Amino acid sequence: MKSLFQINIKTPLLVVLLIAATALVARAQDSRLQMSSLDHLAAKASQTVDVNIDERLMRLAVKVLSDKDADEKEVKQLVSNLKGIYVKSFEFDLDNQYTAADLDSIRTQLRGPGWSRLVNVTSRKEGNLEVYLLLNGETIGGLAVVHTDDRELTVVNLVGPVDLDKLAKLEGQFGVPELGIENKPKAKNDEK
Amino acid sequence: MNEDYLWDKSGQPDPQIQELEEILGTLRYQPKPLVIPRALAPARRRNYFPLLAIAATVLVALLAAGVWIQVRTGKESQPQQAKQVPARVEEVAPSVVKDSTPAPKRAIKEPSIVAVNKRRHNTSALKQREREEALAAKEQLMVALRVTTEKLILAHRKTSTTPANQIKNQHRIG
Repeated sequence: MKSLFQINIKTPLLVVLLIAATALVARAQDSRLQMSSLDHLAAKASQTVDVNIDERLMRLAVKVLSDKDADEKEVKQLVSNLKGIYVKSFEFDLDNQYTAADLDSIRTQLRGPGWSRLVNVTSRKEGNLEVYLLLNGETIGGLAVVHTDDRELTVVNLVGPVDLDKLAKLEGQFGVPELGIENKPKAKNDEK
Repeated sequence: MNEDYLWDKSGQPDPQIQELEEILGTLRYQPKPLVIPRALAPARRRNYFPLLAIAATVLVALLAAGVWIQVRTGKESQPQQAKQVPARVEEVAPSVVKDSTPAPKRAIKEPSIVAVNKRRHNTSALKQREREEALAAKEQLMVALRVTTEKLILAHRKTSTTPANQIKNQHRIG
C-alpha cells in the first residue's frame, strides 16, 4: 500500500511543481513592479507623484491622444503597445526620510530573471540613478528607473514593449529641456 | 413399474431407471469452492481516487488563486477612477446650480426633457464620463512620461559627463 501511495503521489506532485515553475517564470517575465512597499513614504513626503496607468486606462488615454498634433502622435506611437506606466516619486523636506530597506522589495524584483541593469550612476550631489531593462530575447519587455537622492526617491516602471528610439524622441516635450538622449547606436558609441 | 419411485423414490425401482440414475449421477452437483484459473483472473485495478482527489484540489486551488488575483487587480484599478471623477464633478456642479436658481420655470421644464431622452442622456453621460476618465488618464500619462524622460535625460547627462570610473554601465542591448 505504501508503494502504491508513493506512486500515486509522485505524478500530482510533479504536476504541481510544473505549474508552480510555469507560474514563477510567467511572473518573472512580467515587467510590472510591485511598488506598494513605498506607499507609507507618502506620509513623510512634502510632494508625491503617484501615477498608476494600467492597460485599460492606457487604452482610454490613447483614444484621446490626437493624431493631428505631432507631439501627441509621437506619444501615441510610443505608448500604444505599452501595458502600463507606474510612477512613484517622493520629495522630502528633510534628509534621510527613507531607508535602503524601503527599496529592498523593488531591488529584489529587479534582480529577478530577465531584468538587466543598463545604467548605474552614483553621484554625491545628485544621488544614485539606475536604469533597468527587461529583455525578452531581442525585444525590451519593460523598463524601470530608480532614482534615489537625499531628499528624493523616484521609481518609474514602464510595462510592455518599450521603443527606446521613440522614447528618446520625446525629450524636449512636456517642458523637459532637450538635452539629447541619443538613439541606441550613438548611445553605444558614447558609452564606449 | 411403480411410478411412485419417479416422484418420491418410494416403492420398487425400475432397473432401467436405476441404471440411468447411476450413469447420470456422475454429473450431479458436488459442492466445492470456486477456483478461477490464473489465466482467466482479471487484472488488478489501480486505485485512481487519490490521484484524482489531488488533481481536483490543485485545480480548485488554482481557480481560487485566479479569482483572487482578478478581484485584487480589479480593486487596485478602481481607486484610479475614483481619483479622477470627483474633480470633474466639482467643475460641473456650480454651473448647474447657477442655471437653476434664477429661473424656476426652466427648472420645471428640464426634467421632462430628460425623461423623454433618457436613453440618449444615459449613453451620452456614459460617453462623457468615459471621455473625462480618458482625459484624466492622458494627464496622468503625460506626468508619467515627463518624470520618465526627466530621469532618462538625467541618466544620459550623467553617463556622458561623469568620469568613466564612476559609471558602472552594464548595457546589454546593441
